[in-house]
Amino acid sequence: MIKVEHLYKSFGDLHVLKDICLDFEPGKCNMIIGASGSGKTVLLKNLIGLMSPDSGEIWYGGQKLSEMDYDEKKALRQKIGVLFQGSALFDFETVLGNVMFPMNFFTDWSREQKIERAKFCLDRVNVKGADDRYPSELSGGMQKRVGIARAIALNPDFLFCDEPNSGLDPYTSNLIDKLIHGITEEYNITTVINTHDMNSMLEIGDHIEFLYNGSILWKGDRHSILGTDCSELRTFVGANVLARNII
Amino acid sequence: MLKRFLESVGRYCLFLRMVFRKPEKWRIFWKQFVIETDKLIISSILIVGVISLFIGGVLVIQTASNMSNPMLDRMLVGYMVRETLVLEFCSTVVALILAGKMGSNIASEIGSMRISGQIDAMDMMGVNSAGFLVLPKVMSATLLSPLLMMFSFVLGLLGGWGVVELTEIIPASKYITGIKYAYNGFYVVYSGFKMALFCFLISSISAYNGYYAAGGSLGVGESSTKSIVITSILILLFDLIVTQLMLY
Repeated sequence: MIKVEHLYKSFGDLHVLKDICLDFEPGKCNMIIGASGSGKTVLLKNLIGLMSPDSGEIWYGGQKLSEMDYDEKKALRQKIGVLFQGSALFDFETVLGNVMFPMNFFTDWSREQKIERAKFCLDRVNVKGADDRYPSELSGGMQKRVGIARAIALNPDFLFCDEPNSGLDPYTSNLIDKLIHGITEEYNITTVINTHDMNSMLEIGDHIEFLYNGSILWKGDRHSILGTDCSELRTFVGANVLARNII
Repeated sequence: MLKRFLESVGRYCLFLRMVFRKPEKWRIFWKQFVIETDKLIISSILIVGVISLFIGGVLVIQTASNMSNPMLDRMLVGYMVRETLVLEFCSTVVALILAGKMGSNIASEIGSMRISGQIDAMDMMGVNSAGFLVLPKVMSATLLSPLLMMFSFVLGLLGGWGVVELTEIIPASKYITGIKYAYNGFYVVYSGFKMALFCFLISSISAYNGYYAAGGSLGVGESSTKSIVITSILILLFDLIVTQLMLY
């Protein structure tokens, strides 16, 4: 369970996040939606500890992130899987090496066990026959899938995805959405997804938070988003032609 | 300006603290150490060798042409070439060359990883990214660079000998006598120490600039350029300080 209480973050005079309060549900795809520049990535970076908030608290289970020491944060991070916007696969490792990377650091498994686990994760995300290829030799969709395989390599409790569909065609985008949703349910992970992709919201948004100019304006799920009376959200959703015809 | 300088020094010290944390797994560290040794030290052998060979030869010609006084023994050419090589060329000049080659390599590699999110990905896994990426580079460059200095020294002397043999500018026997004359082993230790210090500065400062690179590919280029400029100046400054402390 991840909980955010009264989170604020500014860069100089620019107030990016204002009084953010959130509860993310385990075993569900929790989505943070909003236009570009609304503060989604900053919020995600605060959640995963890559940035520190100016004030407010982030709770993981019963523990405050701000009060964790180096070793506690390190232990927590081993329970977190992150899929970055650009996949962030390691250039110096092959596909198999990328998925094995966290195992090399945090398990005492034999090489055979690590390879077996890595191949299982790659199978789970439908990446086959690319074990020895380097990230630069993969398509965008393949890179995302390898990124997901790496993120779930250590059976994380929490999965964070920053714009998982960016730069992908609608078909691949849909595959990635279903994959994330399937993994979330299968392993009962608390998944948090940053997106502005309407298809994703309607497809897998179990719990949706709408971020507008740094504040949460609306909460709900994929079933209630089209019937919302929040005018800012209606404008945001209505920018999509298909959704405009429905609302 | 002073505030920014002090902030940078403070951040560099904090960065070094992260770098010198105990590695998560020594096996991974040693594997990286071997990889970095190949990338930083072994790949520098050719350029250091070629430059040393030619500089040794040039030093012989220059020294001989400036010692036309018949009162001076010709073996002093060999002596002066040896002293010039060991005291300054093999450590300081070679380090300045390495500042360009090694420094830009480290800064651009780590900088690219920073801007593509690979360092964030490592941090998010709970891996000490600074330790994993930088410690093997710094250790390899610092501990093994004195071998490069020795290599440069030997090649420099050989280059001089080659020129002596080819041009007969001085008798070869005089050159050999000269390079053996009044040999002081401490100069080799002094030069090796300087080289290790300079390579520590090159690797750590370049890694620091790459690690905090920002602003896309332009930022990576900037961090690379900044690394070369800063380390070149620091090499000259520390050359002065170490020489004063160790030789005077």
